[in-house]
Amino acid sequence: MRRKRNSGPVERIDTGLFVLNLTSDERSTLSGFVDQLEEVVSAPHDDPRVRRLFPTAYHDNPEHDAEYQGYMRDELSQSRRASIETVRQALMSDEPMTEAQLYSFMTVLNSLRLVLGTLLDVDEVDDLDLIPEDSPAYGQAQLYEYLGWLLEWTVSALAGE
Amino acid sequence: MTTNRKQNVSVPFTTRPADQVVMTQVAEPDLIEKTDEVTDHDRPWIVLVWNDPINLMSYVSFVFQKLFGYSKEKADELMLDVHEKGRAVVSSGPRERAELDVFRLHEHGLWATMQQDS
Repeated sequence: MRRKRNSGPVERIDTGLFVLNLTSDERSTLSGFVDQLEEVVSAPHDDPRVRRLFPTAYHDNPEHDAEYQGYMRDELSQSRRASIETVRQALMSDEPMTEAQLYSFMTVLNSLRLVLGTLLDVDEVDDLDLIPEDSPAYGQAQLYEYLGWLLEWTVSALAGE
Repeated sequence: MTTNRKQNVSVPFTTRPADQVVMTQVAEPDLIEKTDEVTDHDRPWIVLVWNDPINLMSYVSFVFQKLFGYSKEKADELMLDVHEKGRAVVSSGPRERAELDVFRLHEHGLWATMQQDS
C-alpha cells in the first residue's frame, strides 16, 4: 500500500462535491494523457495497447466471444469515450466535481494505468524502481506510479474513507 | 409451459395482493416440472474475475461493492481470492445477466470472463 500524504489530492468538501488539489501543470499533463487514451481506445482490435481495455468475455469459447465482441465492443468503446469526455471537461473546469464525475475520473485513471502497465509489461514483481533514469520507459514508470497514487486517493474519497 | 400459466409465476419482485397468492400456488407444479428436465440451456453462468498485477486492490474491492452491492467485507474477501487464488466467481445467473456483469466489469477495466457452471 502506498503511503498517504497528510493533505490528499482528492478531497470531499461539505457540499458532497469533490475537489482535486492538483496544480495546473498536473491538470494539463493529465488532460494530455486523457487525449492519448482516447486515441488508444479507437485503435484497431489487434493493437496490444488495448488488450486490457477490451478483454475476452468467453475465454473457453471463441465462437461465443466473437459474437459477444460483435455487439458489445462498440458499446464498450462508446462508454469509455463518454467517461473520457466527462473527465476532460472536469479537468478544464475550476468547479468541484460531482460524485459521478469523480467516478468517471477513477475509471479513466484506471484505464490509463492499464495501457501504461501493458506497455511497461508490469508483473506481480514490482520492479519499476529498477528502470534506469536514462531509459525511455523511465517516464512511463514515473507516470504509472503517479496514476496509482492518484487512483488510490480517488477510491478513498469515493468510498468515504 | 403455456404463456398464460407462465405469467402467473413471473414478476417475482412485485408486491402481490393477498388474494392473488393462490395463483402462485396453482403455478407451482410447473416449476417442479421444469427442474425435472434441466437442459444445458438452464445451467447457470458464472462470472469470473482474474488476477491482474496492474489493478489496485482497493480499486477492485470498491468496484465489487459498487457493481454488486457487496459489503466491504464481502468485496475484500472476493478481491483477496482474485489476488491469491488467481480468480474468483463474483456473480452467477442467466446468460444475459452474466453478459451484462461482464460488460460492466470490462467498463471498469477488470479482467472478467463468463462460462457455464459445470
